[in-house]
Amino acid sequence: MGQRRKFPVAGLILVILGCLMVLVPVYWMVITSFKAAPETFRNPPTLWPESFTLDAYRKVIDDYSFGDFFLNSVIVVVGSTLLTILVATMAGFGASRFRFRGKGAFLGFVLVTQMFPSVIMLIPYFRILKLYGLINTHLGLIIVYISFQVPLCTWLMYSYFETIPKDLDAAAAIDGLNNWGIFRKIALPLSLPGIASTSIYAFINSWNEFQFAMTLTTTEDMKTVSVGIGQMIDDTMINWNDMMAASILASIPLILVFIFCQNLFFEGLTAGGVKQ
Amino acid sequence: MKQPALRHVGDLHQNKLGYLFTAPAFLVLVLMVVYPLIYGIVISFFDTNLVNRFDFVGLKYYKRLIVDETFYASLGRTAIFTIFTVAGRTVLAVLFANLLVMDSMPCKTVFRSILVLPWFFPDVVVGILWRWLYNANYGLFNFILRTIGLADAPIEWLSNSKTAMWAVIMVSIWKGFPFMMVMLLAALQTISKDLYEAAELDGCGVFQRFLHVTLPGIMPVLSTTLMLEIMWCFKHFTLIWNLTKGGPVDATQVVSIDIYNTAFQYTRYGESSTRAVFVFVIIIILTVMQKKMKRKEA
Repeated sequence: MGQRRKFPVAGLILVILGCLMVLVPVYWMVITSFKAAPETFRNPPTLWPESFTLDAYRKVIDDYSFGDFFLNSVIVVVGSTLLTILVATMAGFGASRFRFRGKGAFLGFVLVTQMFPSVIMLIPYFRILKLYGLINTHLGLIIVYISFQVPLCTWLMYSYFETIPKDLDAAAAIDGLNNWGIFRKIALPLSLPGIASTSIYAFINSWNEFQFAMTLTTTEDMKTVSVGIGQMIDDTMINWNDMMAASILASIPLILVFIFCQNLFFEGLTAGGVKQ
Repeated sequence: MKQPALRHVGDLHQNKLGYLFTAPAFLVLVLMVVYPLIYGIVISFFDTNLVNRFDFVGLKYYKRLIVDETFYASLGRTAIFTIFTVAGRTVLAVLFANLLVMDSMPCKTVFRSILVLPWFFPDVVVGILWRWLYNANYGLFNFILRTIGLADAPIEWLSNSKTAMWAVIMVSIWKGFPFMMVMLLAALQTISKDLYEAAELDGCGVFQRFLHVTLPGIMPVLSTTLMLEIMWCFKHFTLIWNLTKGGPVDATQVVSIDIYNTAFQYTRYGESSTRAVFVFVIIIILTVMQKKMKRKEA
Protein backbone atom coordinates (compact mmCIF):
# COMPACT_ATOMS: atom_id res chain seq x y z
CA MET A 1 0.00 0.00 0.00
CA GLY A 2 2.88 2.31 0.84
CA GLN A 3 4.22 1.87 -2.65
CA ARG A 4 0.87 2.93 -4.06
CA ARG A 5 0.85 6.19 -2.20
CA LYS A 6 4.44 6.95 -3.10
CA PHE A 7 4.13 6.25 -6.80
CA PRO A 8 1.77 9.05 -7.89
CA VAL A 9 4.22 11.66 -6.55
CA ALA A 10 6.95 10.45 -8.87
CA GLY A 11 4.35 10.12 -11.61
CA LEU A 12 3.06 13.62 -11.01
CA ILE A 13 6.59 15.03 -11.23
CA LEU A 14 7.12 13.23 -14.52
CA VAL A 15 3.86 14.51 -15.96
CA ILE A 16 4.68 18.06 -14.89
CA LEU A 17 8.13 17.75 -16.49
CA GLY A 18 6.42 16.52 -19.65
CA CYS A 19 4.09 19.52 -19.62
CA LEU A 20 7.05 21.86 -19.19
CA MET A 21 8.79 20.19 -22.11
CA VAL A 22 5.72 21.05 -24.20
CA LEU A 23 4.96 24.48 -22.78
CA VAL A 24 8.43 26.05 -22.70
CA PRO A 25 8.86 26.10 -26.50
CA VAL A 26 5.28 27.31 -26.94
CA TYR A 27 5.83 30.05 -24.35
CA TRP A 28 9.04 31.09 -26.11
CA MET A 29 7.15 31.35 -29.40
CA VAL A 30 4.38 33.49 -27.89
CA ILE A 31 6.61 35.95 -26.01
CA THR A 32 8.99 36.33 -28.94
CA SER A 33 6.09 37.32 -31.17
CA PHE A 34 5.25 40.23 -28.84
CA LYS A 35 8.80 41.55 -28.59
CA ALA A 36 10.18 44.39 -30.67
CA ALA A 37 12.84 43.29 -33.14
CA PRO A 38 15.93 44.64 -31.26
CA GLU A 39 14.86 42.85 -28.10
CA THR A 40 15.11 39.46 -29.86
CA PHE A 41 18.85 40.07 -30.36
CA ARG A 42 19.50 40.51 -26.66
CA ASN A 43 22.00 38.28 -24.91
CA PRO A 44 21.00 37.00 -22.39
CA PRO A 45 17.46 36.91 -23.79
CA THR A 46 14.58 38.53 -21.94
CA LEU A 47 12.13 35.97 -20.57
CA TRP A 48 9.27 38.46 -20.60
CA PRO A 49 8.82 41.12 -23.32
CA GLU A 50 10.01 44.51 -22.04
CA SER A 51 7.28 46.26 -23.99
CA PHE A 52 4.42 44.41 -25.60
CA THR A 53 4.09 45.29 -29.26
CA LEU A 54 2.05 43.99 -32.17
CA ASP A 55 4.66 45.25 -34.67
CA ALA A 56 5.60 41.75 -35.74
CA TYR A 57 2.00 40.84 -36.50
CA ARG A 58 1.53 44.09 -38.40
CA LYS A 59 4.69 43.54 -40.43
CA VAL A 60 3.80 39.99 -41.36
CA ILE A 61 0.34 40.97 -42.53
CA ASP A 62 1.25 44.27 -44.23
CA ASP A 63 4.70 43.64 -45.72
CA TYR A 64 4.29 40.01 -46.66
CA SER A 65 1.36 38.43 -48.45
CA PHE A 66 0.35 36.50 -45.37
CA GLY A 67 -3.32 37.24 -46.00
CA ASP A 68 -3.08 35.67 -49.46
CA PHE A 69 -1.29 32.63 -48.09
CA PHE A 70 -3.96 32.19 -45.47
CA LEU A 71 -6.81 32.59 -47.93
CA ASN A 72 -5.22 30.09 -50.34
CA SER A 73 -4.90 27.56 -47.55
CA VAL A 74 -8.50 28.06 -46.48
CA ILE A 75 -9.81 27.58 -50.03
CA VAL A 76 -7.70 24.51 -50.75
CA VAL A 77 -8.16 22.86 -47.36
CA VAL A 78 -11.90 23.48 -47.03
CA GLY A 79 -12.54 22.49 -50.65
CA SER A 80 -10.59 19.27 -50.46
CA THR A 81 -11.97 18.37 -47.03
CA LEU A 82 -15.61 18.79 -48.12
CA LEU A 83 -15.16 16.70 -51.27
CA THR A 84 -13.16 14.08 -49.39
CA ILE A 85 -15.82 13.72 -46.72
CA LEU A 86 -18.60 13.38 -49.29
CA VAL A 87 -16.74 10.63 -51.14
CA ALA A 88 -15.48 8.89 -48.00
CA THR A 89 -18.85 8.91 -46.23
CA MET A 90 -20.63 7.39 -49.22
CA ALA A 91 -17.96 4.74 -49.65
CA GLY A 92 -17.84 3.98 -45.93
CA PHE A 93 -21.61 3.54 -45.85
CA GLY A 94 -21.65 1.43 -49.02
CA ALA A 95 -18.90 -0.88 -47.81
CA SER A 96 -20.42 -1.22 -44.36
CA ARG A 97 -24.04 -1.81 -45.41
CA PHE A 98 -24.07 -3.81 -48.64
CA ARG A 99 -22.64 -7.13 -49.68
CA PHE A 100 -21.15 -6.78 -53.11
CA ARG A 101 -18.56 -8.56 -55.21
CA GLY A 102 -15.11 -7.11 -54.75
CA LYS A 103 -15.92 -5.49 -51.41
CA GLY A 104 -13.01 -7.19 -49.65
CA ALA A 105 -10.70 -6.21 -52.48
CA PHE A 106 -11.94 -2.61 -52.29
CA LEU A 107 -11.29 -2.33 -48.56
CA GLY A 108 -7.91 -4.01 -48.90
CA PHE A 109 -7.05 -1.62 -51.68
CA VAL A 110 -7.97 1.37 -49.51
CA LEU A 111 -5.55 0.16 -46.84
CA VAL A 112 -2.75 -0.66 -49.27
CA THR A 113 -2.72 2.89 -50.64
CA GLN A 114 -1.50 3.94 -47.19
CA MET A 115 1.80 2.27 -47.99
CA PHE A 116 2.51 4.37 -51.04
CA PRO A 117 5.19 6.88 -50.21
CA SER A 118 3.72 10.18 -51.36
CA VAL A 119 7.02 11.36 -52.91
CA ILE A 120 6.59 8.74 -55.61
CA MET A 121 3.59 10.77 -56.82
CA LEU A 122 5.29 14.14 -56.63
CA ILE A 123 6.84 14.03 -60.12
CA PRO A 124 3.75 12.49 -61.78
CA TYR A 125 1.51 15.13 -60.24
CA PHE A 126 3.93 17.87 -61.23
CA ARG A 127 3.78 16.64 -64.82
CA ILE A 128 0.03 15.89 -64.93
CA LEU A 129 -0.97 19.23 -63.42
CA LYS A 130 1.40 21.04 -65.77
CA LEU A 131 -0.13 19.21 -68.71
CA TYR A 132 -3.63 20.34 -67.80
CA GLY A 133 -2.63 23.85 -66.77
CA LEU A 134 -3.39 23.20 -63.11
CA ILE A 135 -0.03 24.28 -61.67
CA ASN A 136 -0.58 27.38 -59.54
CA THR A 137 -4.31 26.78 -59.21
CA HIS A 138 -6.45 25.99 -56.21
CA LEU A 139 -8.12 23.17 -58.12
CA GLY A 140 -4.76 21.46 -58.72
CA LEU A 141 -3.93 21.38 -55.03
CA ILE A 142 -7.48 20.34 -54.13
CA ILE A 143 -7.18 17.33 -56.44
CA VAL A 144 -3.86 16.33 -54.89
CA TYR A 145 -5.14 16.69 -51.33
CA ILE A 146 -8.25 14.64 -52.10
CA SER A 147 -6.04 11.83 -53.31
CA PHE A 148 -4.14 11.90 -49.99
CA GLN A 149 -7.18 12.03 -47.76
CA VAL A 150 -9.78 9.78 -49.41
CA PRO A 151 -8.19 6.42 -48.55
CA LEU A 152 -7.74 6.90 -44.80
CA CYS A 153 -10.97 8.87 -44.44
CA THR A 154 -12.89 6.11 -46.22
CA TRP A 155 -11.40 3.65 -43.78
CA LEU A 156 -12.28 5.82 -40.77
CA MET A 157 -15.86 6.25 -41.99
CA TYR A 158 -16.19 2.54 -42.71
CA SER A 159 -15.01 1.73 -39.17
CA TYR A 160 -17.47 4.26 -37.80
CA PHE A 161 -20.47 2.93 -39.74
CA GLU A 162 -19.60 -0.55 -38.53
CA THR A 163 -20.16 0.61 -34.95
CA ILE A 164 -23.73 1.73 -35.75
CA PRO A 165 -26.13 -1.20 -35.29
CA LYS A 166 -27.70 -2.37 -38.53
CA ASP A 167 -31.06 -3.14 -36.89
CA LEU A 168 -31.89 0.53 -37.25
CA ASP A 169 -31.67 0.27 -41.02
CA ALA A 170 -34.07 -2.65 -41.02
CA ALA A 171 -36.51 -0.81 -38.78
CA ALA A 172 -36.38 2.20 -41.09
CA ALA A 173 -36.91 -0.06 -44.10
CA ILE A 174 -40.07 -1.42 -42.49
CA ASP A 175 -41.21 2.18 -42.09
CA GLY A 176 -40.93 2.47 -45.85
CA LEU A 177 -37.69 4.37 -46.29
CA ASN A 178 -35.66 3.53 -49.39
CA ASN A 179 -31.90 3.10 -49.27
CA TRP A 180 -31.11 6.70 -50.07
CA GLY A 181 -33.56 7.69 -47.34
CA ILE A 182 -31.90 5.34 -44.88
CA PHE A 183 -28.52 6.82 -45.74
CA ARG A 184 -29.74 10.39 -45.44
CA LYS A 185 -32.19 10.17 -42.54
CA ILE A 186 -30.77 7.36 -40.39
CA ALA A 187 -27.12 6.64 -41.09
CA LEU A 188 -25.95 10.17 -41.76
CA PRO A 189 -27.31 11.77 -38.57
CA LEU A 190 -26.04 8.86 -36.46
CA SER A 191 -22.60 9.06 -37.99
CA LEU A 192 -22.21 12.82 -37.46
CA PRO A 193 -19.58 12.43 -34.70
CA GLY A 194 -17.61 10.14 -37.02
CA ILE A 195 -17.95 12.59 -39.89
CA ALA A 196 -16.85 15.42 -37.63
CA SER A 197 -13.70 13.72 -36.43
CA THR A 198 -12.84 12.44 -39.91
CA SER A 199 -13.25 15.96 -41.29
CA ILE A 200 -11.00 17.36 -38.59
CA TYR A 201 -8.41 14.73 -39.39
CA ALA A 202 -8.46 15.61 -43.10
CA PHE A 203 -8.44 19.30 -42.26
CA ILE A 204 -5.38 19.06 -40.01
CA ASN A 205 -3.45 16.95 -42.50
CA SER A 206 -4.18 19.25 -45.42
CA TRP A 207 -3.40 22.38 -43.42
CA ASN A 208 -0.07 20.77 -42.53
CA GLU A 209 0.86 19.67 -46.02
CA PHE A 210 4.02 21.31 -47.29
CA GLN A 211 5.98 19.29 -49.83
CA PHE A 212 3.36 19.10 -52.57
CA ALA A 213 2.18 22.66 -52.09
CA MET A 214 5.78 23.84 -52.35
CA THR A 215 6.34 21.91 -55.58
CA LEU A 216 3.01 22.55 -57.27
CA THR A 217 2.79 26.30 -56.66
CA THR A 218 5.46 28.62 -57.96
CA THR A 219 3.92 32.09 -57.85
CA GLU A 220 3.78 34.18 -54.71
CA ASP A 221 0.00 34.71 -54.88
CA MET A 222 -0.83 30.98 -54.94
CA LYS A 223 1.26 29.80 -51.99
CA THR A 224 -0.39 28.21 -49.00
CA VAL A 225 0.42 29.22 -45.43
CA SER A 226 2.87 26.36 -44.90
CA VAL A 227 4.85 27.19 -48.01
CA GLY A 228 4.58 30.92 -47.46
CA ILE A 229 6.04 30.97 -43.97
CA GLY A 230 8.49 28.20 -44.85
CA GLN A 231 9.99 30.60 -47.37
CA MET A 232 9.61 33.82 -45.38
CA ILE A 233 12.36 32.58 -43.12
CA ASP A 234 14.87 32.82 -45.98
CA ASP A 235 14.17 36.54 -46.36
CA THR A 236 17.04 38.59 -44.93
CA MET A 237 14.68 41.40 -43.88
CA ILE A 238 12.72 39.19 -41.53
CA ASN A 239 13.35 38.88 -37.80
CA TRP A 240 12.57 36.20 -35.30
CA ASN A 241 9.71 38.12 -33.73
CA ASP A 242 8.10 38.34 -37.20
CA MET A 243 8.60 34.63 -37.80
CA MET A 244 7.02 33.74 -34.47
CA ALA A 245 4.04 36.01 -35.17
CA ALA A 246 3.60 34.37 -38.58
CA SER A 247 3.89 30.94 -36.94
CA ILE A 248 1.17 31.74 -34.44
CA LEU A 249 -1.12 33.12 -37.16
CA ALA A 250 -0.51 29.99 -39.26
CA SER A 251 -1.46 27.78 -36.33
CA ILE A 252 -4.75 29.52 -35.55
CA PRO A 253 -7.07 27.06 -37.34
CA LEU A 254 -5.47 24.07 -35.64
CA ILE A 255 -5.45 25.81 -32.27
CA LEU A 256 -9.18 26.48 -32.70
CA VAL A 257 -9.67 22.76 -33.34
CA PHE A 258 -7.58 22.07 -30.26
CA ILE A 259 -9.71 24.37 -28.11
CA PHE A 260 -13.17 23.47 -29.37
CA CYS A 261 -13.19 19.95 -30.80
CA GLN A 262 -10.36 18.11 -29.09
CA ASN A 263 -12.50 15.52 -27.31
CA LEU A 264 -14.78 14.90 -30.26
CA PHE A 265 -11.76 14.47 -32.48
CA PHE A 266 -9.91 11.99 -30.31
CA GLU A 267 -13.02 9.94 -29.55
CA GLY A 268 -13.80 9.53 -33.25
CA LEU A 269 -10.21 8.84 -34.17
CA THR A 270 -9.71 6.12 -31.59
CA ALA A 271 -13.16 4.50 -31.97
CA GLY A 272 -12.16 2.45 -35.00
CA GLY A 273 -8.56 1.87 -33.95
CA VAL A 274 -9.23 0.39 -30.56
CA LYS A 275 -11.86 -1.98 -31.83
CA GLN A 276 -9.61 -3.97 -34.12
CA MET B 1 -34.01 6.10 -56.96
CA LYS B 2 -37.01 4.06 -55.72
CA GLN B 3 -35.42 0.97 -54.25
CA PRO B 4 -37.14 -1.90 -52.47
CA ALA B 5 -36.59 -2.07 -48.73
CA LEU B 6 -33.15 -3.15 -47.64
CA ARG B 7 -33.92 -6.50 -46.10
CA HIS B 8 -35.75 -7.68 -49.22
CA VAL B 9 -32.94 -6.72 -51.50
CA GLY B 10 -31.34 -9.61 -53.33
CA ASP B 11 -27.68 -9.99 -54.14
CA LEU B 12 -28.08 -8.21 -57.41
CA HIS B 13 -29.34 -5.08 -55.71
CA GLN B 14 -26.73 -5.34 -53.03
CA ASN B 15 -24.13 -5.42 -55.77
CA LYS B 16 -25.58 -2.43 -57.55
CA LEU B 17 -25.97 -0.33 -54.43
CA GLY B 18 -22.54 -1.27 -53.15
CA TYR B 19 -20.99 -0.14 -56.40
CA LEU B 20 -23.07 3.01 -56.49
CA PHE B 21 -21.94 4.18 -53.07
CA THR B 22 -18.30 3.20 -53.45
CA ALA B 23 -17.92 4.36 -57.06
CA PRO B 24 -16.69 7.91 -56.30
CA ALA B 25 -14.03 6.63 -53.88
CA PHE B 26 -13.03 3.94 -56.34
CA LEU B 27 -12.63 6.51 -59.11
CA VAL B 28 -10.51 8.74 -56.88
CA LEU B 29 -8.29 5.80 -55.97
CA VAL B 30 -7.78 4.68 -59.54
CA LEU B 31 -7.46 8.06 -61.24
CA MET B 32 -5.69 10.00 -58.53
CA VAL B 33 -3.64 7.41 -56.68
CA VAL B 34 -2.99 4.39 -58.88
CA TYR B 35 -2.54 6.28 -62.13
CA PRO B 36 0.11 8.70 -60.77
CA LEU B 37 1.80 5.82 -59.00
CA ILE B 38 2.14 3.82 -62.21
CA TYR B 39 3.18 6.98 -64.01
CA GLY B 40 5.91 7.44 -61.42
CA ILE B 41 7.16 3.90 -61.96
CA VAL B 42 7.16 4.43 -65.73
CA ILE B 43 9.18 7.67 -65.45
CA SER B 44 11.88 5.77 -63.56
CA PHE B 45 12.78 4.09 -66.87
CA PHE B 46 13.16 7.37 -68.77
CA ASP B 47 15.65 10.16 -69.10
CA THR B 48 13.25 13.07 -69.21
CA ASN B 49 12.79 16.77 -68.61
CA LEU B 50 9.02 16.16 -68.30
CA VAL B 51 8.34 18.49 -71.23
CA ASN B 52 9.56 17.22 -74.57
CA ARG B 53 12.38 14.81 -73.91
CA PHE B 54 11.44 11.24 -73.01
CA ASP B 55 14.35 8.92 -73.75
CA PHE B 56 13.87 5.34 -72.69
CA VAL B 57 16.91 4.21 -70.73
CA GLY B 58 15.66 0.89 -69.37
CA LEU B 59 17.26 -0.19 -66.13
CA LYS B 60 20.15 2.25 -66.39
CA TYR B 61 19.14 4.31 -63.34
CA TYR B 62 18.42 1.21 -61.28
CA LYS B 63 21.85 -0.19 -62.07
CA ARG B 64 23.41 3.12 -61.14
CA LEU B 65 21.38 3.39 -57.98
CA ILE B 66 22.31 0.03 -56.47
CA VAL B 67 25.99 0.97 -56.49
CA ASP B 68 25.40 4.56 -55.42
CA GLU B 69 26.98 4.99 -52.00
CA THR B 70 25.46 8.40 -51.35
CA PHE B 71 22.01 6.87 -51.73
CA TYR B 72 22.81 4.16 -49.20
CA ALA B 73 24.12 6.85 -46.90
CA SER B 74 20.81 8.69 -47.07
CA LEU B 75 18.96 5.40 -46.53
CA GLY B 76 21.10 4.87 -43.44
CA ARG B 77 20.29 8.37 -42.19
CA THR B 78 16.60 7.69 -42.80
CA ALA B 79 16.90 4.51 -40.74
CA ILE B 80 18.58 6.37 -37.88
CA PHE B 81 15.99 9.13 -38.01
CA THR B 82 13.13 6.61 -38.08
CA ILE B 83 14.43 4.27 -35.37
CA PHE B 84 15.30 6.97 -32.84
CA THR B 85 12.23 9.08 -33.55
CA VAL B 86 9.83 6.16 -33.20
CA ALA B 87 11.67 4.81 -30.15
CA GLY B 88 11.60 8.22 -28.45
CA ARG B 89 7.94 8.77 -29.26
CA THR B 90 7.06 5.30 -28.00
CA VAL B 91 8.85 5.77 -24.68
CA LEU B 92 7.18 9.13 -24.03
CA ALA B 93 3.78 7.94 -25.28
CA VAL B 94 3.77 4.76 -23.17
CA LEU B 95 5.03 6.64 -20.12
CA PHE B 96 2.55 9.52 -20.25
CA ALA B 97 -0.42 7.39 -21.34
CA ASN B 98 0.13 5.10 -18.35
CA LEU B 99 0.52 8.02 -15.97
CA LEU B 100 -2.57 9.79 -17.27
CA VAL B 101 -4.70 6.68 -16.89
CA MET B 102 -3.86 6.25 -13.18
CA ASP B 103 -6.82 6.76 -10.87
CA SER B 104 -4.76 8.73 -8.40
CA MET B 105 -3.48 11.23 -10.97
CA PRO B 106 -5.01 14.69 -10.40
CA CYS B 107 -6.04 17.13 -13.17
CA LYS B 108 -5.93 14.43 -15.84
CA THR B 109 -7.76 16.40 -18.53
CA VAL B 110 -5.59 19.48 -18.05
CA PHE B 111 -2.39 17.45 -18.32
CA ARG B 112 -3.68 15.58 -21.34
CA SER B 113 -4.61 18.80 -23.09
CA ILE B 114 -1.14 20.22 -22.51
CA LEU B 115 0.65 17.06 -23.58
CA VAL B 116 -1.23 16.77 -26.90
CA LEU B 117 -0.51 20.39 -27.78
CA PRO B 118 2.52 19.80 -30.07
CA TRP B 119 0.31 17.76 -32.34
CA PHE B 120 -1.79 20.85 -33.08
CA PHE B 121 1.01 22.95 -34.52
CA PRO B 122 1.76 22.64 -38.25
CA ASP B 123 5.02 20.86 -39.08
CA VAL B 124 6.43 23.98 -40.71
CA VAL B 125 5.71 26.04 -37.59
CA VAL B 126 7.37 23.45 -35.37
CA GLY B 127 10.43 23.46 -37.62
CA ILE B 128 10.72 27.25 -37.55
CA LEU B 129 10.09 27.47 -33.80
CA TRP B 130 12.86 24.99 -33.02
CA ARG B 131 15.29 26.73 -35.33
CA TRP B 132 14.77 29.74 -33.12
CA LEU B 133 15.10 27.70 -29.91
CA TYR B 134 18.34 26.16 -31.19
CA ASN B 135 19.72 29.51 -32.38
CA ALA B 136 23.37 29.72 -31.30
CA ASN B 137 23.49 33.35 -30.17
CA TYR B 138 19.99 34.31 -29.11
CA GLY B 139 18.21 30.97 -28.72
CA LEU B 140 16.65 29.77 -25.49
CA PHE B 141 18.47 26.45 -25.24
CA ASN B 142 21.95 27.87 -25.36
CA PHE B 143 20.90 30.43 -22.78
CA ILE B 144 19.64 27.68 -20.46
CA LEU B 145 22.75 25.57 -20.96
CA ARG B 146 25.03 28.51 -20.21
CA THR B 147 23.00 29.52 -17.19
CA ILE B 148 23.21 26.09 -15.57
CA GLY B 149 26.86 25.89 -16.59
CA LEU B 150 26.66 22.99 -19.04
CA ALA B 151 28.20 24.91 -21.91
CA ASP B 152 30.57 27.87 -22.05
CA ALA B 153 30.50 28.51 -25.80
CA PRO B 154 27.26 28.63 -27.77
CA ILE B 155 26.47 25.32 -29.47
CA GLU B 156 25.40 25.44 -33.10
CA TRP B 157 22.98 22.51 -32.87
CA LEU B 158 21.71 22.57 -36.43
CA SER B 159 24.81 23.68 -38.30
CA ASN B 160 27.20 21.19 -36.74
CA SER B 161 27.14 17.92 -38.64
CA LYS B 162 27.72 15.97 -35.42
CA THR B 163 24.67 17.31 -33.61
CA ALA B 164 22.28 18.18 -36.46
CA MET B 165 20.64 14.75 -36.80
CA TRP B 166 20.08 14.43 -33.06
CA ALA B 167 18.67 17.93 -32.89
CA VAL B 168 16.24 17.05 -35.69
CA ILE B 169 15.24 13.79 -34.00
CA MET B 170 14.49 15.65 -30.75
CA VAL B 171 12.10 17.96 -32.60
CA SER B 172 10.47 15.05 -34.35
CA ILE B 173 9.89 13.24 -31.06
CA TRP B 174 8.43 16.39 -29.50
CA LYS B 175 6.05 16.90 -32.38
CA GLY B 176 4.95 13.29 -32.78
CA PHE B 177 4.61 11.61 -29.38
CA PRO B 178 1.10 13.01 -28.65
CA PHE B 179 -0.57 11.05 -31.46
CA MET B 180 0.70 7.75 -30.14
CA MET B 181 -0.12 8.79 -26.59
CA VAL B 182 -3.77 9.42 -27.52
CA MET B 183 -4.06 6.06 -29.28
CA LEU B 184 -2.54 4.29 -26.25
CA LEU B 185 -4.75 6.19 -23.80
CA ALA B 186 -7.81 4.84 -25.60
CA ALA B 187 -6.37 1.34 -25.60
CA LEU B 188 -5.47 1.50 -21.90
CA GLN B 189 -9.02 2.44 -20.99
CA THR B 190 -10.25 -0.86 -22.43
CA ILE B 191 -8.12 -2.92 -20.02
CA SER B 192 -10.26 -4.23 -17.17
CA LYS B 193 -9.36 -3.02 -13.66
CA ASP B 194 -9.95 -6.57 -12.37
CA LEU B 195 -6.85 -7.73 -14.19
CA TYR B 196 -4.71 -5.22 -12.31
CA GLU B 197 -6.26 -6.18 -9.00
CA ALA B 198 -5.70 -9.86 -9.71
CA ALA B 199 -2.09 -9.17 -10.62
CA GLU B 200 -1.61 -7.18 -7.44
CA LEU B 201 -3.07 -10.00 -5.34
CA ASP B 202 -0.58 -12.32 -6.99
CA GLY B 203 2.13 -10.03 -5.70
CA CYS B 204 3.10 -8.34 -8.95
CA GLY B 205 4.96 -5.04 -8.61
CA VAL B 206 4.47 -2.00 -10.77
CA PHE B 207 6.91 -3.19 -13.39
CA GLN B 208 5.52 -6.72 -13.51
CA ARG B 209 1.99 -5.46 -13.80
CA PHE B 210 3.07 -3.35 -16.73
CA LEU B 211 4.75 -6.35 -18.35
CA HIS B 212 1.97 -8.89 -17.80
CA VAL B 213 -1.21 -6.82 -17.90
CA THR B 214 -0.63 -3.46 -19.58
CA LEU B 215 1.63 -4.52 -22.41
CA PRO B 216 -0.52 -7.42 -23.67
CA GLY B 217 -3.58 -5.17 -23.36
CA ILE B 218 -2.18 -2.39 -25.54
CA MET B 219 -0.22 -4.64 -27.90
CA PRO B 220 -2.74 -4.68 -30.81
CA VAL B 221 -3.02 -0.89 -30.86
CA LEU B 222 0.68 -0.40 -30.17
CA SER B 223 1.78 -2.58 -33.07
CA THR B 224 -0.60 -0.93 -35.54
CA THR B 225 0.44 2.54 -34.41
CA LEU B 226 4.13 1.60 -34.52
CA MET B 227 3.78 0.43 -38.09
CA LEU B 228 2.04 3.68 -39.08
CA GLU B 229 4.72 5.72 -37.31
CA ILE B 230 7.53 3.85 -39.00
CA MET B 231 6.00 4.44 -42.43
CA TRP B 232 5.38 8.11 -41.70
CA CYS B 233 8.90 8.69 -40.39
CA PHE B 234 10.45 6.83 -43.28
CA LYS B 235 8.97 9.24 -45.78
CA HIS B 236 9.04 12.33 -43.59
CA PHE B 237 10.09 15.57 -45.24
CA THR B 238 8.61 18.77 -43.81
CA LEU B 239 10.23 19.03 -40.36
CA ILE B 240 13.70 18.16 -41.58
CA TRP B 241 13.43 20.45 -44.60
CA ASN B 242 12.42 23.40 -42.45
CA LEU B 243 15.08 22.73 -39.84
CA THR B 244 18.13 22.02 -41.97
CA LYS B 245 17.15 21.51 -45.63
CA GLY B 246 19.16 18.29 -45.35
CA GLY B 247 22.34 20.02 -44.22
CA PRO B 248 24.87 20.82 -42.96
CA VAL B 249 26.55 19.32 -46.04
CA ASP B 250 24.30 16.27 -46.04
CA ALA B 251 24.21 15.34 -42.36
CA THR B 252 20.42 15.22 -42.26
CA GLN B 253 19.75 14.33 -45.89
CA VAL B 254 17.19 11.54 -45.60
CA VAL B 255 15.73 9.77 -48.66
CA SER B 256 12.72 12.05 -49.00
CA ILE B 257 15.00 15.09 -49.26
CA ASP B 258 17.36 13.19 -51.54
CA ILE B 259 14.45 12.32 -53.87
CA TYR B 260 13.16 15.89 -53.80
CA ASN B 261 16.56 17.42 -54.56
CA THR B 262 17.33 14.96 -57.35
CA ALA B 263 14.13 15.97 -59.09
CA PHE B 264 13.68 19.64 -58.34
CA GLN B 265 17.22 20.92 -57.74
CA TYR B 266 19.04 18.84 -60.34
CA THR B 267 16.00 18.19 -62.62
CA ARG B 268 16.91 14.51 -62.92
CA TYR B 269 13.32 13.33 -62.82
CA GLY B 270 13.96 9.77 -64.00
CA GLU B 271 16.64 9.13 -61.40
CA SER B 272 14.49 10.68 -58.72
CA SER B 273 11.63 8.33 -59.60
CA THR B 274 14.00 5.38 -59.43
CA ARG B 275 14.79 6.35 -55.85
CA ALA B 276 11.11 6.72 -55.00
CA VAL B 277 10.34 3.28 -56.43
CA PHE B 278 13.20 1.83 -54.37
CA VAL B 279 11.73 3.34 -51.19
CA PHE B 280 8.29 2.05 -52.17
CA VAL B 281 9.70 -1.48 -52.40
CA ILE B 282 11.34 -1.13 -48.98
CA ILE B 283 8.04 -0.05 -47.44
CA ILE B 284 6.26 -3.02 -49.03
CA ILE B 285 8.88 -5.38 -47.60
CA LEU B 286 8.51 -3.81 -44.14
CA THR B 287 4.73 -4.17 -44.31
CA VAL B 288 4.87 -7.80 -45.37
CA MET B 289 7.32 -8.52 -42.55
CA GLN B 290 5.01 -6.87 -40.04
CA LYS B 291 2.01 -8.86 -41.31
CA LYS B 292 3.98 -12.09 -40.91
CA MET B 293 5.05 -11.16 -37.40
CA LYS B 294 1.48 -10.32 -36.46
CA ARG B 295 0.30 -13.69 -37.75
CA LYS B 296 2.95 -15.41 -35.66
CA GLU B 297 1.73 -13.60 -32.56
CA ALA B 298 -1.86 -14.70 -33.16
